[in-house]
This record gives sequence, C-alpha cells and structure tokens, in this order.
Amino acid sequence: MNPSTAVAATAYTESTRRPRPRWPGFEFFMLLPALLYLVVMTQAPFILTLWYSLHTWILTSPELGKPWVGLENFNYTVLQDPTFRDAIINTLVMTVGIVGGSLVLGLAFALLLHRPFPLRGLVRSLMIAPFFVMPTVSAVVWKNLLLNPVFGLFNWITTSVGLPRTDWLGVAPKLSVITISVWEWTPFMMLILLAGLQGLPEEVREAAHLDGASGIGEFLHITLPLLGRYIQLTVLLGTIYVLQLFGEIYVATQGGPGTATTTVPFYVYQTISQSNDVGSSAAQGVLAVIFASVIAALLLRLLAGTFRGSSQ
Amino acid sequence: MIGMQAHGGARLRLAPRKDIKLSSIGLTALTYVIAFVVFFPVLWMVLAGFKTEGTAVELPPKLFFSPTLDNFRTAIESSGYATFFGNSVFLSVGSTILALLLGVPAAFSLGLYPTKRTPSVFSWVLSTKMMPLVGIIVPLIVIYKQIGLYDSRAGMILLYAAMNLPLVIWMMGSFFAEVPREVLEASQIDGAGVLRSLISVVLPLTAPGLAATALLSVIFAWNEFFLAVNLTGPNAGPLTVYISGFMTSEGLFWAKMSAASTLAIAPVFIAGWVAQRWLVRGLTMGAVK
Repeated sequence: MNPSTAVAATAYTESTRRPRPRWPGFEFFMLLPALLYLVVMTQAPFILTLWYSLHTWILTSPELGKPWVGLENFNYTVLQDPTFRDAIINTLVMTVGIVGGSLVLGLAFALLLHRPFPLRGLVRSLMIAPFFVMPTVSAVVWKNLLLNPVFGLFNWITTSVGLPRTDWLGVAPKLSVITISVWEWTPFMMLILLAGLQGLPEEVREAAHLDGASGIGEFLHITLPLLGRYIQLTVLLGTIYVLQLFGEIYVATQGGPGTATTTVPFYVYQTISQSNDVGSSAAQGVLAVIFASVIAALLLRLLAGTFRGSSQ
Repeated sequence: MIGMQAHGGARLRLAPRKDIKLSSIGLTALTYVIAFVVFFPVLWMVLAGFKTEGTAVELPPKLFFSPTLDNFRTAIESSGYATFFGNSVFLSVGSTILALLLGVPAAFSLGLYPTKRTPSVFSWVLSTKMMPLVGIIVPLIVIYKQIGLYDSRAGMILLYAAMNLPLVIWMMGSFFAEVPREVLEASQIDGAGVLRSLISVVLPLTAPGLAATALLSVIFAWNEFFLAVNLTGPNAGPLTVYISGFMTSEGLFWAKMSAASTLAIAPVFIAGWVAQRWLVRGLTMGAVK
C-alpha cells in the first residue's frame, strides 16, 4: 500500500458502515457476463462432446449421416481399441515421470536459490527461462540441436567419450519426451517451492539450529514437512497441466515410434484431424475428462492425507 | 556437494565459521553451473541463430565464430512469418483485453462484495480451467467450421479469452481482496457508485497487479498450441504453429530455424522477466502470494 492510501484509510476508520453498492444487485451484474462467457465457451462444448460421443459421425462421409449409436463409441474406445489403452498408459507413465522429475529437481533448485549469493536475481531469471519457451520451440530445439543422431550436441558428447551414437528419440522416446518436459516444468515447481521456502517462519529454523539439527536432518524433519502444502499444490497443478501434454509430442515424435509416445490428447487429435471421426474422438474426449477428473480427485485425497498431519 | 568435496582438505584446518563459508562457496558454484546447464538449450539456440548454416551443424561446435544477422533477415522475410508473428500479437493482446474486460468486473464483485456463495463461484471458475481441452475440441472444430470462425483471428481470441478468464478472475480477485475495506467505504461515502469506485479508487491501487495479470495472460496465449493447431490454418495461425512446421529434421536449415525460434520467444522472455515478481501468484491462480 502506498502512503496516500494509508492516510485515506486512517481518515475513515471511524466509519462503521459496511460498503453497500448504490444499486442493489449491481455487483451481481458485474459478475454475470464472465460466468455466462465461461458457460458458453467451456461447459456448452463439453455437453456437445457428450452428445456427439453417442453418434456415429464421419466428417468426410456425410452420406452416412449422424445415426445415434448409444454407447457404441465408448464400447469401441474402451474395450477394443488397443491404441487408446496405450495412450492412457503412456499418459500415466509420462505424467508420473515429468511431475516426479521436475518436482525433485525443482525442490533441489529452490533450496539452492534460497540462499544469499551474488547475482541471485540473474541466476533465478536464467533458471526460470525454460518455462517461457513455447512448447513447439522447446521440442524443435531439443529434437534437432541437442538430440539429433548425426548433428546433435548430445551425440557429439557421447561419441567423444567413446559411447555409441544414439538416436535418442527412436531408442528411448518416452525418456526423451520426459527429459524435454522436465526441463520445461522444473522452473514451475522451483518457483512455487521457492515461494514456500521464503514463507517459512525463520524462528522454526533457528530453533532447529539450537537443537543441533543441521543439513539433511533439518531438511527432512523441519523444512520438508513445512513445505507440505506447497508440494501438494505443485504436484496437483503440475499433474493437471502435464496430463494435457501435446505440443512436445506433436513436434518431437508425432506419437511414435509406433504408439510409444501417443498421449491421450495426441490420440484425440489424430482421431479428429486425420480420421475425421467425430463420434470416436468425442468419446475419447469424454473419457479423457473423466480420466483427468479421477486423477485430480485421487491426488487431492492422497495428498491431503499425506500432509494433513505434518503440514499444520 | 561438489564444492564440499573440493574443499575437503581445507576443512580440517579451518575454524567452523570458515568451513560454513567454504561449503557455501561450493554450493554457490554448483548453483551457477546448474543455472548454466538449465539455460544452455536456449543459449545454444540463440547462438545457432547467429551462425551460418554450415557452422550451425559443425561438430565439434565452434565456440568462436563471426556472428551474422542473415538468418534473422531470412526468417523475417520468409513467406508467412510476418503473418504468423502478427497473428500471435493480435491473438494474445486481443484475448487479454477481452479477458480483462470480462474478468476485472467479476473479480471486483467477488473480491470486494463476497457473499456466502463466493467460494463456490471461485471454485467453479477454477474448475473450468481444469477442463482438459480434449474434452471440448471436437465440437469447437465442428461448430467453428459451420459458423465460419475456423481459421479466424476472432474465433481464436474468443477461445483464448475463455482460457485466460479464470486466471484474471482469480488473480485480480486476490489483488482486490487486499484492498483495505476502509478505502472502499470511504469512496462510497463520498457518493461514488460501484463502477466509479472501481475505476477511480480500486483500479489505481491495484495497477501493478493488473499489469502483471495482463502480462501473464499474454504469455499463456502466446505459447498456446493445442487449440491453435486444431483450429487455425494459414490465415489465423500463430507462431507456435509456424514453428511446429520445423518438425521434419530432413533438409532443415538449423540456423534459420534457430533465428525464427529466437524471434518467436523473445517477446515472452521480455514480458516474463518483467512479470517475474507476480509469476508465482499467476501460476497458482493467486493461491501463493
């Protein structure tokens, strides 16, 4: 707050009147357009997705019409389509790898940055840089400049020390995509955890020092439990965002080789853009929403349970 | 850790205070190394943009080369780049303005006139942000094609505004909630209406927050790819889509690709570094200050 505000505030503190809008309900009408807009742009399309998922509808074959088929698309998607099953598994594996990897690195980096040292601001800026790089640029740079089997820098390093030349995206596609994404998401985790560290009460740490706790002991028994709420938040938000991983896959692997890196969003993209199959892609979309909601709900309960005792 | 080992010999001979200082120097050195490694892919890309095509693929990499601006010139002049760049500016700025116009009054209402339903309204707004885009993309493609919004800037602005509206409502809500009630009461005693107290009292107080919210909204729209690749073509395609065209490695011009990528991320880097202070609040939808 700037000084003039403080003056204004003290000048009127004797007033006990609750603020009242001059026109009753006006504040409601300030809220309404935003809520209506969100309903129209996000809820209505989802209802339509549900509706489409109950029909057979191929955009390129209008002569077939759009017959009602009940749950047939779901039957196909869930029980008979091996690619969709792969996509679910790939999404789970890569999300766990990306969120886990970036959480561990983010925590380590946050601890390193939570110390006074010269050029701290610059170092912090350099370390959050990957988060600002658009996903397609990240993927293009990693795929070519770093991971290319012939001209990539990684292969120059590995062959220089006598290791064989490796086509990383071909041999270890999941690990490559996880690595690229961990690079992008570590700053996200780091920033939130650093904010958490900076919010820790100094007295607690001083008390720990008096008790003789030091280094790893202090970290495990004092810092980590106190960070509980922040770790919970990063895992939850990170998971929700990473479940939507798409641009990196689109550019770096196109879901391949085979279906090795086909995620749910990428498979839905393929079904609608390449097969023009509205019914199936809508069913996949509905399942993806259910899948994401279940994971979010599970995570919330799991994390709340884990940290309930230790964080408060 | 590395530092502690390196100074292990000195440790034995020094007083504890010095020991802390040395391990601290080690940790600082480690931090510098990590920062360099983390930033390296970006640095490498920017450097490649200033190399000739021949130097860009040369291994071992040349550390000293005479920089050239040719690639940037080629990138800018190549077909469509200006259109894609312009689209990115148009879509991110346009959608941010729309999201602010809708979101600021909503946040004002929620933040300063809370009722018992306010928490559930906030939660519902957040839940729309959690909706995976694959859950809505199919009808969007179908309907946008039917009503002529497919591959149009207007259509993308409408969507990006919806994407950033929860961010605006939550972030501005958290800034408005910090405005002292007395200030608002004062303005209302003066006879100002709700709208006037928003414009003349509350907005000036929360101007830095508003600027931060706008910058973050621009960044998120600028970097969006899924909606763009599904709903745009040559007319309204933003830079994320343009860059994705470099995905086939064969016969690629790395220096030109790096120059185009550098130009594509530059605006967001500048915006991001300006908005750094508020980044955490934005990423956590106002949950962490």
